[in-house]
Amino acid sequence: MTAYFDDKDLAHFGDLKRHAPELWERFMQYYGPAFEPGLLTKREKVLIGFAVAQSSQCPYCTDSYTQQALEQGLTMQHLAEAMHCAASLRAGITLAHGLVAHNIDKKVSM
Amino acid sequence: MNAVPLRVLSEEPAAAARFGRRLAGHGAELRAAAAATLQINVGKKCNQACRHCHVDAGPLRTELMPDAVFEASLDVLARHPQLQTLDITGGAPELHPRFREMVARARALQRKVIVRHNLTVQFEEGHGDLAEFFAANRCEVLSSLPHYTEDATDRQRGRGVYQKSIEALRRLNGAGYGRGGGLVLNLVSNPVGAFLPPHQADLERDTRTYLGDHHGVVFDHLFTITNMPIARFADWLRRSGRYDDYMDRLEAAFNAATLPGLMCRSLISVSWDGRLFDCDFNQMRELGLEPGAPATVFALELQDLEGRRVRTADHCLGCTAGAGSSCGGALT
Repeated sequence: MTAYFDDKDLAHFGDLKRHAPELWERFMQYYGPAFEPGLLTKREKVLIGFAVAQSSQCPYCTDSYTQQALEQGLTMQHLAEAMHCAASLRAGITLAHGLVAHNIDKKVSM
Repeated sequence: MNAVPLRVLSEEPAAAARFGRRLAGHGAELRAAAAATLQINVGKKCNQACRHCHVDAGPLRTELMPDAVFEASLDVLARHPQLQTLDITGGAPELHPRFREMVARARALQRKVIVRHNLTVQFEEGHGDLAEFFAANRCEVLSSLPHYTEDATDRQRGRGVYQKSIEALRRLNGAGYGRGGGLVLNLVSNPVGAFLPPHQADLERDTRTYLGDHHGVVFDHLFTITNMPIARFADWLRRSGRYDDYMDRLEAAFNAATLPGLMCRSLISVSWDGRLFDCDFNQMRELGLEPGAPATVFALELQDLEGRRVRTADHCLGCTAGAGSSCGGALT
C-alpha cells in the first residue's frame, strides 16, 4: 500500500463482506433498493448520491457517482451546480450553528 | 466508369474472446435475418474530425465511392425491393459529388432514404441548400448532437460545432423538419467519454426541453448510441489508459435482450470501395462477411446472405451493452 486512497480500491468494496458477511448482506439489501427508481428517478437519486459524496468528501463515492451521473446524461455543468448546492448548504449549516453561539451569548452575557 | 480494385479479405477475424464468451454464455449465435436496409458508406471525407469517430473520417481523407461501386450499389437496390431503406453514411456523405444523385435515384425507386447528416456540412461551400434538398426528396435526416449543452458537444466534435449545429437545426426546422408533418429529423447522441449512454427516453425529454427553451429547435426523436471501441475512439482510450476499463464496462453491461434487434441482423453494409460487411463497425475493422458469402456489391444477391453467420469481434460488446445500441438507437 502506497496511499490511503487508491482508485483501484473501489473494485474491492465487496471485500468488506469478509469479516462481517451478515451485516454486509443487510447493508446491500438496504443500499441497492434505496437507489432504485421510485417516486424519485434514478437520475435524481444519482445526483443526491453525488452531492452527499461531495459533502462527505469521499473520493470513492465521488468517483462512482461522477461516472454514474455521466451515464445518466448529466455533464460537469450539472455536477458543478450540484457541488455548489452541497457547498453552499454546508456553508449555511456552519453559519446556522452560529445561532447556538448567539443563544449562549444571550444566556450568559450581560 | 472507374475501374475499382477490390480487396477481398482473407485474414482471420479479429479476436472475439470477450463477446464470443458472452454470446456462448447465453447459448446464442448471431445469424442474419432478411435484409431490409442497404447501408452505403460513400466515403471517409468529412468536414469534421470528431474524437469518437469510428470511421477516422476527416477533411484530409480522400476515399470516395467510385462510379462503378456507386452504380452497382444502386443496381442492388433496384433489383431487391425488399431493401426498403437506403441508409447513406460516411464521412459526411453530402461531400460525395454524386450524393444528390444517389438520393434522387433511390427516391425514384420509392425507397425510404436516411441520410446521416452532421449538420455543419450545411456551412460548406455549395451545401447551403441541403435542408431544402432533403425536404424536396423527403429524406429522413439523422443528425449527431452528442449533448444538448454546448461544452459537451464541442469537446467531442470540435470548438464551434454546437452553435453551427443549432443554426443548421433551425434551417431544417425552417424547411419543415421535426414538426410532425412527415419530414423526420432525428438526433443521435454519443457519450462524450468512456461511459455508457443515458436512458434514451430521459435524454430525449431533456434535449427536447432544452433545445426548445433555449434555441426554439424541435426534432422528432433522439437516439442514444454507444461509442465503439474502434478507430479514433479506441486510440483515445488506449492513449488515456482507459481501454481495458471501458471494455470491462461494456462486457459487464452485456444484455442478451439486445441480441434480436441488433442491426447486423437486418442490414447490409457497403464500403466506399464496394466490399460487403455485416455493419459499418465491422467495415472499419475490415471484418468482411463470413467466408463463402459474396464479398463485394458486384456479386450481391440477397438470397445468398439470409441466415449467414454474422462476423463478430469484441467491439460488438458496444452494441449489446446496457439498453443496446444500433443505428436507430437503444434496442431495449
